[in-house]
Amino acid sequence: MAVTALVHRLAASAPVPVFAAVGEDGLRAVDRLAVDPRVDLVASPLHAALLLVVGTIRDDDRPELERLHDQLPHPRATVSWGGNAVFEGEAVDGTVDPLPLLSDMHRALMTRARPSEPDLLPNAPPNDWRGKGDFGQGGEGMMGGVPYGRPMPMTDDDMRDGLALDAYSAPFGPFLPQFPAGLTLDLTLQGDVIQQAKVLRPPYPQHESGGAAVALRHVARMLRLLGLPARAERVLHDGPRERLAQTLSRWGAFAAIPPGLGMIDGTDVRGRLRAWCAEAGGGAGPVVEDDGPLTDLLPGLEWHEAVLVLNSLPDAALRRLVPVPKPDDDQGEHKHEHHHDHHHHDHDHGHGEAHG
Amino acid sequence: MMAVAAFVSLFALLILGTALAAVMDRAAVALASGRPMGAALKEPARRAAALLLRQKVETERPDSITWPLAPVAYLMLAAVGLSVVPFAPGVVVTDISTGIVLWGACEALTVIVVFLHGWSANAPMALIGGYRYVGIGLPVLLLSMFVLIAAALPAESLSVVEIVRAQEAGLWNVVRQPPGLALFLILGLMLTLRGPFDYADAEDLAGGTKAEASGPHRLAWRVARLAMLVSFSAMAATAFLGGYLGPVLPGPLWLVLKTVAVMAAVIAAGHMLARLPPSRMLTTVWVVLLPLSFLVLVLVGVELLLWP
Amino acid sequence: MAVTAADVLFWLLALCAGVSGWRVFATDSMVRASFLLLLSFLSVAGIMLLLAAPYIGIATVFMMAVEMMVMALFMVMFMMNPAGLNPMMMVHQHKLAIGAGVLAFLGLTAAILLTDLPSDPVPADRAVVHDLGIELLGDSMLVFETAGVTLLATMIGAVVLSSRRGRYGDADTGSRPPGLEPGGDPAGREPEEGGGGHHHHHH
Repeated sequence: MAVTALVHRLAASAPVPVFAAVGEDGLRAVDRLAVDPRVDLVASPLHAALLLVVGTIRDDDRPELERLHDQLPHPRATVSWGGNAVFEGEAVDGTVDPLPLLSDMHRALMTRARPSEPDLLPNAPPNDWRGKGDFGQGGEGMMGGVPYGRPMPMTDDDMRDGLALDAYSAPFGPFLPQFPAGLTLDLTLQGDVIQQAKVLRPPYPQHESGGAAVALRHVARMLRLLGLPARAERVLHDGPRERLAQTLSRWGAFAAIPPGLGMIDGTDVRGRLRAWCAEAGGGAGPVVEDDGPLTDLLPGLEWHEAVLVLNSLPDAALRRLVPVPKPDDDQGEHKHEHHHDHHHHDHDHGHGEAHG
Repeated sequence: MMAVAAFVSLFALLILGTALAAVMDRAAVALASGRPMGAALKEPARRAAALLLRQKVETERPDSITWPLAPVAYLMLAAVGLSVVPFAPGVVVTDISTGIVLWGACEALTVIVVFLHGWSANAPMALIGGYRYVGIGLPVLLLSMFVLIAAALPAESLSVVEIVRAQEAGLWNVVRQPPGLALFLILGLMLTLRGPFDYADAEDLAGGTKAEASGPHRLAWRVARLAMLVSFSAMAATAFLGGYLGPVLPGPLWLVLKTVAVMAAVIAAGHMLARLPPSRMLTTVWVVLLPLSFLVLVLVGVELLLWP
Repeated sequence: MAVTAADVLFWLLALCAGVSGWRVFATDSMVRASFLLLLSFLSVAGIMLLLAAPYIGIATVFMMAVEMMVMALFMVMFMMNPAGLNPMMMVHQHKLAIGAGVLAFLGLTAAILLTDLPSDPVPADRAVVHDLGIELLGDSMLVFETAGVTLLATMIGAVVLSSRRGRYGDADTGSRPPGLEPGGDPAGREPEEGGGGHHHHHH
């Protein structure tokens, strides 16, 4: 069929949709890929054809990585770039540019020359159906019970406007692209407002010593989160330069960030973005001396604001603000923890772990 | 005969406009980011083909009716909304006396469709996207109603055909009420989930309502968004820029040119303006933009009373 | 009598309105119930269009779309079941509800059957929207304006009541009204939980 052949040919020349699972020292490489027009770094594994594992991955994160792998739609493949090769697929050295390989693999997948990778985990519901009653409701009466292994969330005290809503708890991370790589937070949300945050795993160290290039990448990341991906690319493209803050302020980037958001040491997110801009022009970067826990900073913020706060922090300061959970604290305890009456969802459904 | 011409024009504008919108969107990305422009022409087709060949993943227990239906309904609303736009004198698919209200109904149903797209996937990020969108979408809807009624006031009719006729007799609405068009463009950003009003499919939520959409489903959603952009732009061109009116060139061509111009403005705004956190945007919409749109309505009313 | 396209359309829309109205009570989620109700209203709006009421028909679509969206939002917000996808039973007080339903159905049916409904086809060239506008802003103005202003006052009242800033302090700190006499007990009922309110000194 001529049409089918045309579709395959067109698809093979499309930008390669890549979901990057970033490990230790992987961020620099991924940020470099982000400006390449031949690659499309996507925000959700469901939008990707290739899973790119960059840098060293902790053993703890292996189950999440396996679930992430299984969420990529067929045909799919994995590339491990630098660090420990985690499972099947191809592996390239960290010093080699993976782009030719990514392009070739995508082409092979799209023309069906390469078989798709099978699931790593069995595709079974994590919890059995436990509903009962005539209407399939969980338990007795209108509510209650645990129909899919999770009870209905109950209203919880609200901290912002006194309007008590349902609280929803789930772990987010470690490969959520909007979070610092490796950071896993157990968040309790009411709507999109964070009520409670608990660190499950700290971010991966990126060993970045600062400098204009690093600052520029921080600015670009903030711009992407503010809905300006093309502008972010332009900033990276043009390279370090002076008067970046004026340009950003013309784009409305500072006006979009609420004043006083994520205040640490008298500097808010706006101030830190300004400092990143200054550092990209040869000035001084943001200074975060405080070592108060990050988890005190997030409650009360909307998701969008919380993501901005997390991405405004320098790597070293972020690792200082996130206390590393003690080993005995890390093993299994959180699995059984309940925030008073709402249950810890294991985030098994949908693609929660996609973000996880 | 006229009815056939109207139907053909509608589908031609919707299909070709959607393709053009996709190319313009890529070109805008290239322009803003400094990428080479050359790829913009072919890239939409390549991306579409790649999406067609990928699997459509099912989430765990989605709402089996609304999940696949949401992109289809979105596309249909774009077509129904476009149906009230006259392509030339007498060439219009639905020539009803309440065309503006029908367009308003399409706006309201679009908010519902986007919400259901986020809700039905049964996943947290998509759900948050859906809820956030409704919170911003409803006040923007109110705003657009004020602005559209102001555009209909000089015509003394709710019919879109009459609104064009009134602009033929008098001034184009963009001259009479320039803030009206600016406010109406905000609706365009909201309806097509773009830039500063993209609270549904935003990057910070890993793609929001489309986070769980893969393969052909995602393609359908993308096409529907672009089709809605065409539909909105044609409506804005008709209500504010005189629709098919214009010298020398034939009427339908003027409508197409104006539609493309509005499309370009919405796409550019989408790539150039930063997105505010939802609560900050909500305050802006309720406290600044809504009163402003009401003021536009009052001013147009006073103007028509003084100079009928 | 020949069956016209309008007849077929009427019965289809009526069937859709009835079935989706019934499904509202048979579904297991608040979001589904809201939008099934919307589907029912959309069908009724279609019937209104058939009855040559273009404004009321399309305005019904518009208004009901917004209303059902807000309703779904608030129901999910204020009640348990966050996404509305964990199944739950949507009906309670079965016997009373069934009784009330049957009674309402019989009453309305009787009203339809016993009333001598007028047959008054609308001429195609009649400007119905214009007439409706004259009616709304003419003879019926007092009625509609009264209803409209009452609704507006209710909405503003609801917003004020749910706002955090209260007359006697923030709502979530347990605001207390001032005393009837200086330094006296607060007027009205004291909040049951004594949370907050510590900065309200009575002079």
